[in-house]
Amino acid sequence: MGGILETFGLAWPKFISQVVIVLIVYLILSKYAFGPILAMLEARRQRIADGEENLKKIESELEKAEEKVQGMLDEANSDAERLITEARESAEAVRSQKTQEAVKEAQGIIEKAREASKLEHEKAMNELKNDFGRLVIDATSKVTGKVLDDADQKRINDETAGQVAL
Amino acid sequence: MEANLPITSLDSLNPLLAAGGIAAPEIPGFGWLTNSIFVAAVVTTCVVLFTRMATKRMELIPSGKQNFVEFIIEFLYGQVEGIVGKHVAPKAFPLLATVFIFILTANWFGLIPGVGTIGFGEEKVAFLSLKEVTHPILRPATADLNMTLALAVVFMVVWAWLSISELGLWGTIVHIFGPKGGLQGFLKYALMPIFIFVGIIEVVSIVFRPMSLSLRLLGNIFAGETLLVTMGGLGELLGASGFVAWILSVVFPLPFYFMEILVGALQATVFTLLCGVYIKLSTTHDDEDHH
Repeated sequence: MGGILETFGLAWPKFISQVVIVLIVYLILSKYAFGPILAMLEARRQRIADGEENLKKIESELEKAEEKVQGMLDEANSDAERLITEARESAEAVRSQKTQEAVKEAQGIIEKAREASKLEHEKAMNELKNDFGRLVIDATSKVTGKVLDDADQKRINDETAGQVAL
Repeated sequence: MEANLPITSLDSLNPLLAAGGIAAPEIPGFGWLTNSIFVAAVVTTCVVLFTRMATKRMELIPSGKQNFVEFIIEFLYGQVEGIVGKHVAPKAFPLLATVFIFILTANWFGLIPGVGTIGFGEEKVAFLSLKEVTHPILRPATADLNMTLALAVVFMVVWAWLSISELGLWGTIVHIFGPKGGLQGFLKYALMPIFIFVGIIEVVSIVFRPMSLSLRLLGNIFAGETLLVTMGGLGELLGASGFVAWILSVVFPLPFYFMEILVGALQATVFTLLCGVYIKLSTTHDDEDHH
């Protein structure tokens, strides 16, 4: 046994030195390498998991927001269509009212024009009658050579006016 | 004449053995301090300094050394978790990762030119050149039984603590000697002697685990070192001399260097894997087996 140990160079001081070296590596690596690195890997894994969870939450919220926006758009479309219909109906009513007013106004204008024309016509006829009477008086006065007094003039004028039917 | 060639060749190769024998030689003037302990200390310093630099200012978005160390540790943790299970992994990981990283670094450190070939000797053949390096300053840390046994013993202590903390002392004894396969009733008691006998065999295998683990690692790494040195001297063995011998001493070992890189990684993996399996076997509850 002693020969075997000597052949392989086994000796307590050497063996204990190697054990101490192995323990030093084991303890230092455990404390300063494996611990922090495994903690870092775990932190990173946790961060990724949190990120994934947040992503799912954001996706869910986005979906809800899209649904809400779609709802609002539908409502806005509905309101817009209603307002357009109301505006169209209102415009139709105004147009009809304005047309009626315009027609009425035009009829009034035509009526007034007709009355004015009638008055003008009557006035012109009266003036024509007066002129015609005056012409008859002048002609009578020149034919008869006599100066007609006011009574003659009035009688001639009345007769002329009575005979002239315009 | 030719039949004597191998004996002559081996004699001529002896001075070239890098490790100076299976026992790690002591460095002259430093008492019991062997070159293997010295290299183990250097490897420890390198590993500790590098990991400290990588983890001193850790950031959530890693880069450079932190990225590299994180990649290694994350990969190792996944492997350990796959072997020992999620429950035991946090407790077993520091030891298994330490064992893997240390053995791998020590194995590859042994491939650095100069390890095993720079040191003290008797007969000078030229300036700064010896015929035989009897006391190399550097020797692969894992080419020394003291180191491989230390790794195995530290592992066995942690293994025992893990097993007892998981199953309890009585649970561990029952796990080793108790009936397996969920046997009940008469059959359980009838087969009890067999299970006790199997338990005794199991105890013997547990006792021999440190030796098997340490000798496997030592044998592979020391054999690798010897192979590289033998290949380095093959040119002279074949009768070459001068510049040709020097070229051949570079060319012949080159393929074996790549093989030794592989062997170094493989032996670190085997050692760690076996440790993981031992932990898994001793921390698995019997009721888990049935499921």
